[in-house]
Amino acid sequence: MNKKIIILLTLVIGVCAAYLFIHSHPENPKLFRYILSLRIPTLVVMMIAAFSISSASLIFQSIINNRIVTPCLLGMNAMYTLVHTAVIFVVGSGSILATNANLSFTVDLIVMSVVATFVYSFMFEKTGNNVLYVLLIGTVLASFFGSIQSTMIRVMDPNEYDALLTTLVADFNNINVEVIYFSLILLVALTIFLWKDLKLLDVITLGKAQAINLGVDYDRTVRRLLLGVVLCIAVATAMVGPISFLGLIIANLARQLLKTHKHNHLILGSALMGMLAIIAGQFVSQHIFSYAVPISTFITIGGGVYFLYLLLFTKGGI
Amino acid sequence: MTIVDLNKKYDGKKVVNSVSFEIPKGKVLSLIGPNGAGKSTVMGMISRLIAKDSGVIHFEDKDLAKWKSKELAKKLAILTQHNNIQMKLTVRELVAFGRFPYSGNRLTKEDNEMIDKAIAYMELQEYEDCFIDELSGGQRQRAYIAMVIAQDTEYVLLDEPTNNLDIYHASNMMRTVRRLCDELGKTVILVLHEINYAAFYSDYVCALVNGKIAKFGTVEEVINKETLAEIYKVDFEIIYVDGKPLSVFY
Repeated sequence: MNKKIIILLTLVIGVCAAYLFIHSHPENPKLFRYILSLRIPTLVVMMIAAFSISSASLIFQSIINNRIVTPCLLGMNAMYTLVHTAVIFVVGSGSILATNANLSFTVDLIVMSVVATFVYSFMFEKTGNNVLYVLLIGTVLASFFGSIQSTMIRVMDPNEYDALLTTLVADFNNINVEVIYFSLILLVALTIFLWKDLKLLDVITLGKAQAINLGVDYDRTVRRLLLGVVLCIAVATAMVGPISFLGLIIANLARQLLKTHKHNHLILGSALMGMLAIIAGQFVSQHIFSYAVPISTFITIGGGVYFLYLLLFTKGGI
Repeated sequence: MTIVDLNKKYDGKKVVNSVSFEIPKGKVLSLIGPNGAGKSTVMGMISRLIAKDSGVIHFEDKDLAKWKSKELAKKLAILTQHNNIQMKLTVRELVAFGRFPYSGNRLTKEDNEMIDKAIAYMELQEYEDCFIDELSGGQRQRAYIAMVIAQDTEYVLLDEPTNNLDIYHASNMMRTVRRLCDELGKTVILVLHEINYAAFYSDYVCALVNGKIAKFGTVEEVINKETLAEIYKVDFEIIYVDGKPLSVFY
């Protein structure tokens, strides 16, 4: 187990070094420094995004007790896009709430945690954690949020829309570095805040009845973990945009590779695998395809195929 | 454990209607009754899995609702009918979860001894490292019972433990229940569909009909022609085997 984690860690360090130093022109110190000043923040953002998306997906799957769901399938990133649009829509792009990236992000996070906690806890309670219902309602919600968002965009002032667009459509080639410190602090704080709940995850996966039997305050723990998932998704979406399939692939690959039920290993392992996938993908997209094929294309194609594989060839998927 | 005036409504329909009874310590008590009588709901409320609308459950001179969940987990174990675990867990890992209320995720030497004992008690040594989703229904049920044993509680609540088991495994399960009570001194409360298992293996029987207690008493008091006919609205014949009443119906 630890061996696999160490191998993963070595690989991650390897790709990080490759990403930073290949074609970095060390013979020309000025150029070298300039290139690094561009690459380092991107690298950090990719690591943050990888950590958030993979641990969020993993935790979410364990709460729902199903391996084919991801928070994105339930419309969480659509919700983030909607919340972000709605805030700009209401306060206007000239407001300090929109122009200050950190402030704007804070407002998004607060609104999103309140709405998402409400919507999703209500949904889980109503459906009794029935995966098929959760997925169905989630899919409907995702397009519902999308529709509201596009309606808002249509009635928006075109100039406002232009301003909104720059912060809305983050992707790997247009990452949002402004909220980097804020996100880092948020993730560290979240990890500390949820430390005790994370330790209960192993028991949570046994199901509600077993968890209560073993003395876990199930509803409270799940609510707190769900809040963590929502915030992680918001962070990832804000920084690199929606990466719907990545979480699904990574979480499942981590489970397949590590073959354990212990979540401290799983979370660490999936975070490392997420970093490996994103950074290596970005490296390939940048240096081999010279930006012609964006990394999201790899993720979507790979994710789609893997998703079909999970549905068709692993028993007990649904 | 004493249950006083327990009530539960679902969508305005009373499923449990002022149920009161006392659970005799160190005995096997079976809850029987027709479908929809509220057996599982009563069990759910006793085990804190289902919130009660009103009523009090006294547990060791204290209101059950006032117990800390973690402390209660050392006194009372519940096994429900639905156990679908998506994780890849071996039998030993599953049984080890029984120690969670005591040691959390870190197992002590004492915990490992308890786990060994529980596995040996359920004769699961050869399957110890098998994944539970690869076991047969009967073996899986035994693994869950081993987990309950590892939890080392005085009270064990089993919700339809013989469900989905064939006659061989079901009767083995009932013998295990008897052993839990006789050898380990546990108080066992069961929800059973099969009247004869209740008659043969328990000390007390509580019959529920439409959310109310129709009859509570020793096996002889409940398992007789008149009472059963009243509860199930079907004619019964009673025969005695090993001095215990068994019902015949068709």
